[in-house]
Formats: sequence, structure tokens, C-alpha cells
Amino acid sequence: MGVATVSAVVHDLEIDAELVERHRCGDAQAFNEVYARFEGMVYNLAFRLSGNPEEAADLTQEVFLRVYRHLGSFGGRSSLKTWIFRIAINHCRDRLSRWRPLTMPIGEATGDGEVAYPDPARGPEDLAVAADEGRRVAAGLARLPHAFREAVILRDIEGLSYEEIAEVLGVRIGTVRSRIARGRDQLRALLET
Amino acid sequence: MNRHLSTEQLSSYLDGEIGFFETQELEHHLGGCAACRSQLESMQRLVIGVRRMERVAPPRAIAQEVRQRIAAEEAAPGWRRRLQVFLGGMAFQPALRTSAAMGLAFVFTLFLLNQSVEQEQRNLQPPAEAVVTVQTYFGDNSPAPLPLTTSEVAGRQFVWLGERWIQRGLEGEQPQTLVAARSPEGRAMLNAYSDLEFLISDGSRVVLRYRRATVELSGS
Repeated sequence: MGVATVSAVVHDLEIDAELVERHRCGDAQAFNEVYARFEGMVYNLAFRLSGNPEEAADLTQEVFLRVYRHLGSFGGRSSLKTWIFRIAINHCRDRLSRWRPLTMPIGEATGDGEVAYPDPARGPEDLAVAADEGRRVAAGLARLPHAFREAVILRDIEGLSYEEIAEVLGVRIGTVRSRIARGRDQLRALLET
Repeated sequence: MNRHLSTEQLSSYLDGEIGFFETQELEHHLGGCAACRSQLESMQRLVIGVRRMERVAPPRAIAQEVRQRIAAEEAAPGWRRRLQVFLGGMAFQPALRTSAAMGLAFVFTLFLLNQSVEQEQRNLQPPAEAVVTVQTYFGDNSPAPLPLTTSEVAGRQFVWLGERWIQRGLEGEQPQTLVAARSPEGRAMLNAYSDLEFLISDGSRVVLRYRRATVELSGS
């Protein structure tokens, strides 16, 4: 981890601590800021895990209600980001195990008034190819075993480090390493067929 | 390093999640192994593909719903809210939290001690006959639509045989006495073996050993 990265992490932790302290003191705006910072992250995680926009919306709501209820007791042993991811992963596991296993391919386009964040740097042709490729990858991801899907999503979509993923999933780094590698390997095999 | 690199090694290398010396070793191998280079490139393309997936914007309604539900929780008075506030407040005061935990542990220990003394006293008394365990399994002769049931009443097992529940060991015996559940004798039996009510509730009959006699208890 370079000096710049370390300083960014320290900065994030300082922001986390300040938000939590303000929330404890009854500042309602603090939770709004937490929500704004992590809403997209939680929704995308829930969407990729469930493959369903309505389910993802419900999951996001539930996760943030839990965050609100427990934010005051957040101990700061991890970053707020990994803490919220952990709540989200646990809640998704709990809910989705009772809901249905995700076996249907999920599309990149979400429909129902959902909009994807377009990358302004890409031209229309490039965007169309990317959307098509995105649909294929999403369909492959949906067919991965749950443990591998979680690891690949957290690493390749959310960009968490192995250490952060280990914290979120509550497993050792070796397990994270193995799940990401095996998940990628299976995904590659799925996309080649 | 002569053998090919594993998927795990390539994947971790791609993520920069290996140490300096291992990186050097891997790069040295990759320099001379076309097969591993090809594997690495293939994995790299895959990772780029996954990372290029568009992020989905959450519907605006979620934020509104969350705010409304929080407002509803905040507005709700009662023990739950107060408990949450109390527990939340304890996070500020580790000493208070530790004291509360120790207090709870103490109360729980007292409860366990009390339970163990009561259990000891119960052991000194004659065994109560009406303590039951019910086990259920599926069979063909059960009174439809309920599954065939065996019931242990004070250590006795009952099985459904054709038309009656028979205490195990009494199969083939003719009852010496017929007792209606509503009769004083029947009520006395049900007082002693309350679980029998479960067996006769649908009008079934039960054959059991009672006061040294084989008795048929009728629910109807």
C-alpha cells in the first residue's frame, strides 16, 4: 500500500468517525451523508447478487434501516464501508436463501425506469458493444456458486482489496484468494461455452 | 519455477496481492512460458469485462422509503425504541456496558443455580407419569388425514393398530375394562396421562395398562 493510498484510507476513516460521532449526537444529516456515500454501492451489490431490481431495492432499504439502527454502536474496528458491506452481504444471504436461488441470467439493462450510469468517455458504438458484453458477463456471474459470485463482485465490481473482502465475508485471506481465482476460472469457462 | 502457474497465482498476481519476491519469481516464469502468459491474458480480459459492467443507479424511491421508515421508527414510542436508545447509549460507555454484561451473567448464574436446586428436589420425588415425548412419522394405517403417531407416555409407547392406539406390549390382549373419557375413571386417567387427550381427540380409542389392568379408553 503506497503512501497516497494510506493517506486516503486514513482520510476515509476520519470521515467515518466524524459521521458516526455526529449521528450519535443526534445530527440527522450524518445518516443522510452515510446513505448518499454508500447507497449506490449497496444497491449494486444487492442487484448483482439477486439479479432482480425490485429485490435489490427492498434489500437496500433493509440494509440501511439496519445501518441506521446500529450506526451508534459502530466501533470503528473496520471502515464504515466494509462494515456496511458486511451487513449487506449477510442480509442478502439471509434473504436470498429464503427467496430463491439465482439461476436466471441477469441483464445489464434493468428496465422499469432504472438507469445505468453511462460512461461519458465512451462513444455510442462502444457503449452498445459494452452493453452486450455486460449482459453476457452478468449472465455468467449469475450462474456462479454464491460464494464465488460474492468474492468476484466484491473484488472486480466493487474494487475491494483482499483484506477488505476477508473482513466483509468473515473468512481468511487465503480463502478470499481461492474464491476469487476459482470464481474467475469458472466465469471464464461459462463465457467460453 | 518449472511447472505452470496456478489459477490462484495468476489471479493474485493480476490483483497485485502477492509479495515482492513472489512477483519477481512469477514474472520470471511468465517471461519464458507462453502458456502461462496466454492464461494470464485471458484472465485479464475477463476481469476487464467484469469491471466494465455499468453500475446501476438506484431508484430514487428507495431513499424516500428509507427516510419514511426511519421517521416511523423514530415516532414510535415504547419499550423497543427506549431499549434501542439505551443499548445505543451503552456504546459510549464501555465500563457501563461491561458492568451490565457482568450483572446479566450474575443473574443468569443465579437462575441456573436455582434451576439445578429445583431439579435436585424433583429428582427426590416419585417420577411424574404424565411427562411425555411425542414422535411423529408417516405410515399407512393412521387415522386419516393425520400421520401415524407413536406417543411415549411416562415411558410407554403407543402405536396405531388398525382401529385403536395400543400400548406397546399389549398387542393382541383383550381389554379387561372399557372406560369412557368423560366418566370419572376416564377423567382420572386423563389427569394422570394428559397426553392421552391428544390420542383420543379425534374419537380414537386407546388400550393401555392402568392400575394393573388392561384398559380401553374411549374418546367418544
